Amino acid sequence: MPRSLWTGLAGILVALLIGAGVMLAQGYNPAATYAALFEFSLADADSLATTLKNAIPLILTGLSASVAFASGPVNLGQPGQLVMGALFATVGGLYLPLPAPLLIPALLLLAMLGGALWAGVAALLRRAFNMSEFIVTLMLNSIADLFTFWAITGPFADPGAFSPMTPAIQPSGWLPEWGGFSSGLLVLALAAAAIGFVFQRWTAGYEWRLTGQNALFARLGGCNIDRNFVTVMLVTGALAGLAGGLVVMAGPHRFLKGLGANYAWDGVMIAVVANNGLPGTVLYGLFFSALQTGALGMELITAVPSEFIQVLQAIIVLVVVASRGRISAWLDAWTARRQARARPLAPAPD
Amino acid sequence: MRILIGLIAGTLSGATPILLAALGGAFTYYAGMFNIAMEGMLLVGAFCAVLGAYFFQSWMAGVLCAVLGASAMAALFILFAVVLKTDEFVTGIALNLFAVGATTYLLRQIFDVKGSLADPRLQAIPAVTIPLLHDVPVLGPILSGQNLMIYVAALATAASAYLIFRTRFGLRLRAAGYNAASLDSSGVPAARVRAWALLICGGLCGLGGAFLSLGYVRLFAENMSAGRGWISLAAIILVNGHPGGLALIALLFGFSDGLGLLLQSADVPAQFTGMVPYLATLLALYVYAARRARARAARLDGPG
Repeated sequence: MPRSLWTGLAGILVALLIGAGVMLAQGYNPAATYAALFEFSLADADSLATTLKNAIPLILTGLSASVAFASGPVNLGQPGQLVMGALFATVGGLYLPLPAPLLIPALLLLAMLGGALWAGVAALLRRAFNMSEFIVTLMLNSIADLFTFWAITGPFADPGAFSPMTPAIQPSGWLPEWGGFSSGLLVLALAAAAIGFVFQRWTAGYEWRLTGQNALFARLGGCNIDRNFVTVMLVTGALAGLAGGLVVMAGPHRFLKGLGANYAWDGVMIAVVANNGLPGTVLYGLFFSALQTGALGMELITAVPSEFIQVLQAIIVLVVVASRGRISAWLDAWTARRQARARPLAPAPD
Repeated sequence: MRILIGLIAGTLSGATPILLAALGGAFTYYAGMFNIAMEGMLLVGAFCAVLGAYFFQSWMAGVLCAVLGASAMAALFILFAVVLKTDEFVTGIALNLFAVGATTYLLRQIFDVKGSLADPRLQAIPAVTIPLLHDVPVLGPILSGQNLMIYVAALATAASAYLIFRTRFGLRLRAAGYNAASLDSSGVPAARVRAWALLICGGLCGLGGAFLSLGYVRLFAENMSAGRGWISLAAIILVNGHPGGLALIALLFGFSDGLGLLLQSADVPAQFTGMVPYLATLLALYVYAARRARARAARLDGPG
């Protein structure tokens, strides 16, 4: 655990230096830029609340990708599962006449259902026809994008709006804010705790991790890897769908065109840079959310376009992942040298 | 008859970027690499094409810039995956994200626009009329008068097949895929062969990207590659990288693209017609998986 923390921090530092270099080459002031980033993401309660709220879909999609990759299935369908979950939650929020204590859990369940169903399509195609879920989830992403776009411009469109969107869901479906902080954070905490518990301390999670490391060994050891495959796909799909539902319920309270556009691929990126570790995913999710939240403010102060953050994120991912092996090897050599120096010298032969 | 010609033209132009990207990916596939960065290379190629065409007012400069830009992406891939030995899957994903971020950022930085850039000074890649073929009775309008890049793609298919299967370089390329250690011990560094494969992939994806932004349209839109890199990856998996097979698959996808446009005129909502290429990919994947299952069953059953 600490080792990966060190390599991660070192990688981030190098990447920030590279980013500073890029900014200097364009005539911007890196120090002021990074300071503005910090100020607008973490410095006061307001920005902290925004950062945390933006972190919700990032962490959930990151967990979805992490659990999937660590268990075997290559689920790259988070973008599609997120929007399907968001769509299910929006439609439920428009038509279910329930009071708040019932509607909110219902919408959350609907969101999870939407994501799980969409992932289930890929799982079904894999189980029935042995179609690689890598390609299938990617194709389903585009199909889900087009489908939801049709849905919000056709049957569920808001006739009064001038851009594609649904009407707002009933107020009883809006996630309340407590002291400025979104209650979606509570949902996030519960979901993260639940998936963490299942993954690390439940038999099912143990089997998933085993299968992820060596599917043949797991099968010979008695795991039903086919059933586990489907379960993992459904669970990770549900996580991504939940993210979509939370984006709608805690944010614009309606399905807008382009909802959650970047969140899902960022989730894959977070899983990759965290090496599929669950605590790492949460931490990196918070970190990247801070970067993205601070970016808009950064633009106000230093005129660096907020899109630069996407470049910085990619640089961080590349450097952290690339350096992981190198820094780890360097740390190994350093500790070995230290231990060798500490060992007493062998007595000279007579 | 005009509809048919239009459909074929649509098929060819839909197939071209996928075919070029798939040919590039075929080289890395034969070299034994798990290269999923075609999507990013296409996008960077499309952006650089617009960049070159804008500042030099010429489509040739645009194409050249596209090839250079996509090759730079390939060089990054080489740096991380071949030199630093980072996991290829992760490198590909990271580079795709980098491509999206960099093109969006540069679009804002250089042109001060968000979303898309269209400009009258952008020259499109011209169509080419071939004098003799033009006069062929029925096929004339199809064989001649197509966009230059379509002919380039056809030539590239033949050239790739020749390069991969009939030259020493191709032999080493495939050797790197079969058994890189053997290749290394025979004196040819597999890493160098793979680097070349990536550079060729970058060049071809650059051409494909240039066709995306300067072919029939003359603009760059954010995330313009729209999953075509993933479709080309699917194509490579379906035919195990063979250039001739890639051409057929690319034509199939191009056809589904054109079919989508045709369906639009039949009152099918645009979003559903847009799904056709992706559904076609799923269908092709199903056929591939079904055939493999049948072949494996036949092998296990044995003769008689």
